[in-house]
Amino acid sequence: MRQQVETSQSIAKRDPARVMRLSRLGSFHQSRLSFMRILTRRMTRENWQFSRPVFDFDAKGVGHAVYCAHTPDRTYSLIAFGFDLPAEARSDRVIATSWDSTFTLFDGVPDASDIARLRANIPLQEAGRVSEKELSVSRANRSVRLWDHVVSRLAAGRQPDRHEVTKVGYLMRTTAVYGSGKLGAADREMIADRPECTAPFQIEMLSVFLIRTYVRDLVQHMANLRGGSQAVTLDADIARSMGIGNSTGLGMAPFVINHPMLFNNWIAAREQAIAVVRSLPAATRDEAATFRDLLERSIVSADIWSSAHDIQIAKLAQLRADLRLLAEHVAGADLLAAQPWNRLFLWAEETLGEDAQESLASLMLEPYGALVDPLADQMRDTDASAFRIDGSMKVAALRAILERAYGWALRIDWSQKDHCARAWYVSKEKLEPRLGERFEEPIAPYEQPLAPGRDAAALHAALADQSPDATLAAFLLAHPEHRHSVRRAQLVDRAPYAEIRDNTIGSDLLPIDMLRCKLSFFGATHFDPRSDRWVRICMFGNAPYADELASAQGDDWSYPPALRGEA
Amino acid sequence: MSHSLNEIAAHAKRAARGAGLSWGMAEEAARATRWLASHGLNGPALLCEVLAKNDGVPHVQVAPVSLDGDWHARACELCPLVLGTTLNDCADRLAQGDAINARHVSHPLLVIPFAAWAAIHLSQPVRVSFAGLRIDTDGDGIWVDDPQGDLNTPKAETVTFSRTDKRADPAQRPGFRGTVTSEIWARLDTFAQRTFAPATEASRLLGAGAGLSDND
Repeated sequence: MRQQVETSQSIAKRDPARVMRLSRLGSFHQSRLSFMRILTRRMTRENWQFSRPVFDFDAKGVGHAVYCAHTPDRTYSLIAFGFDLPAEARSDRVIATSWDSTFTLFDGVPDASDIARLRANIPLQEAGRVSEKELSVSRANRSVRLWDHVVSRLAAGRQPDRHEVTKVGYLMRTTAVYGSGKLGAADREMIADRPECTAPFQIEMLSVFLIRTYVRDLVQHMANLRGGSQAVTLDADIARSMGIGNSTGLGMAPFVINHPMLFNNWIAAREQAIAVVRSLPAATRDEAATFRDLLERSIVSADIWSSAHDIQIAKLAQLRADLRLLAEHVAGADLLAAQPWNRLFLWAEETLGEDAQESLASLMLEPYGALVDPLADQMRDTDASAFRIDGSMKVAALRAILERAYGWALRIDWSQKDHCARAWYVSKEKLEPRLGERFEEPIAPYEQPLAPGRDAAALHAALADQSPDATLAAFLLAHPEHRHSVRRAQLVDRAPYAEIRDNTIGSDLLPIDMLRCKLSFFGATHFDPRSDRWVRICMFGNAPYADELASAQGDDWSYPPALRGEA
Repeated sequence: MSHSLNEIAAHAKRAARGAGLSWGMAEEAARATRWLASHGLNGPALLCEVLAKNDGVPHVQVAPVSLDGDWHARACELCPLVLGTTLNDCADRLAQGDAINARHVSHPLLVIPFAAWAAIHLSQPVRVSFAGLRIDTDGDGIWVDDPQGDLNTPKAETVTFSRTDKRADPAQRPGFRGTVTSEIWARLDTFAQRTFAPATEASRLLGAGAGLSDND
């Protein structure tokens, strides 16, 4: 294989100017490099063991449980607190103050004093306080309709209606999974050297993985208490089809701007994988068969993906049509010789919309775990020095960087209202990031630095009357207001996928594009926008449960079984 | 109270921005505060004092007038954050063996993290001297020689930065937590509050984009 790669014409990574547009980032799909799949691969490979030392709930779901994940070296414990939440208190918003269930991932095995301490804090979420023994804090609400349906069906001795299950996809949805130091929890730096934590967001993904088991257990427990001897056990296939929902608002969107090097490393790893596969001179019959199988299952996935949001309905219609077009093309195409993946990809770029192009990009990686999966090691941010400004750089050099990386921003007339109609700010209550109308609300004085394009254009203008040979140290001494933009520009010069190359404050901005991009790297599926800045997704849908990991075949659970729709 | 370092950095960044620093300066003030806190030093309290002292004072008044000769501000004391960023921007000067002198500097301990980053850039320890004390740093570790207990001094007549030799004796290495008193946390919070937009009912719904029922 290696020899073939070397003798073949090598395809470069895609141009950041093409990749880093919001409409494309907002069309990304999960892939082998998604953080959920990185986690489940490791759990299987290392044969993690799981236990449930505590499970103590009443008929209304009030109580607590402890779920332990035993890695070869240590134990992590999810502690779950369940409540009987009145319907009117159920809100996905960050301003909510109570939830159906709240959770923390504990570093080790909690003792009674830990449980007592956490019982006094975890249910309060942001109003509580945790310690460096806690690695995440999260909460979830029931999907009321499906929860009631499943409990009453199981209690009555019947399985839930598969159609109802498919329509929602989950019994509970998380509304926040906090990690890395939030509310006093351990910083990522404390655990980043552990092998199971090196890839991004592994603690958060493990939390959700364990929450999914808790939810299955709790719904069964409540059905058993209600139905007594009549109750039946939830069918394993139906249980597996359900993931954990997640409801995400604007709070997540600034993350990809505030962590440019990390964001670069995610995108760069996936682009590298795409380039490697496109460069392959040939594919085996098995590889082609794997691809064809997963393409069929992608079509199923798109078919059961529902949304009531106009933008998403239109995107879905095109994605479904495009995937069928792709399947027709693939049926007659030679996938074995003459750089088959590159030919297919070029065809798709000419023929399909961005959503299907990105779906194909992820699908092409599937047969090549050995080539793709090691790239996961490059997705964390270890380059602390990227923060440092090189003050010895000359003005002329920075101008050249700006013109190269921010040409798109220099071409925008930022004085036009449409191009700067929005402003990102943080609200006084709950410190929640929000997006407002700059010319209609009194928010401009509170604006967050989340418009790198506009700020880079301002920096470029300020450099116009500087001597080309002057150093940035001297420039910044007089112009501290450009310091953040100089830092970003120097970073983007080294990390070309670090910056969204699009307007993040224009009147036509869709923050859901930023959310979907980030969530696709988590491994989320079935994006269901509730507005232009609020999205529901499904996590770990069709994934093996802890007790199924050892017997799970392969790593392709993100694609639903092809026949499920007919069941 | 024990805080995560990310909490300290986030709080410091908001406070610095609230006190009028540019975003880029606030980012570095936050990292510096975190760095000091991770070494068990009094970063949050000193940041608080500097922000209060220079509240509303334009950058130009607390910045070096010129990068030639000794660095000094026009009339006020030099802000240690501006001195720190400028030092780091000019770190290559230290590589040539030249010392940099700064005069009339407030709260000089706050420049240490910037010297640490310069040391990482130079791959060589940097020495910072002021009052009667000497601090060496290789970026991660710190060696403090402070016979008279001047570490938290509010003012130094002269601060000198120079390249120095690698040290074999054990350094003070950073930890993973920081301690901030509730009083200092609250004082920083008064600055941070200035960065938050007052909520209105309209922004509550529009700004976050929700408004649909979640009880489904």
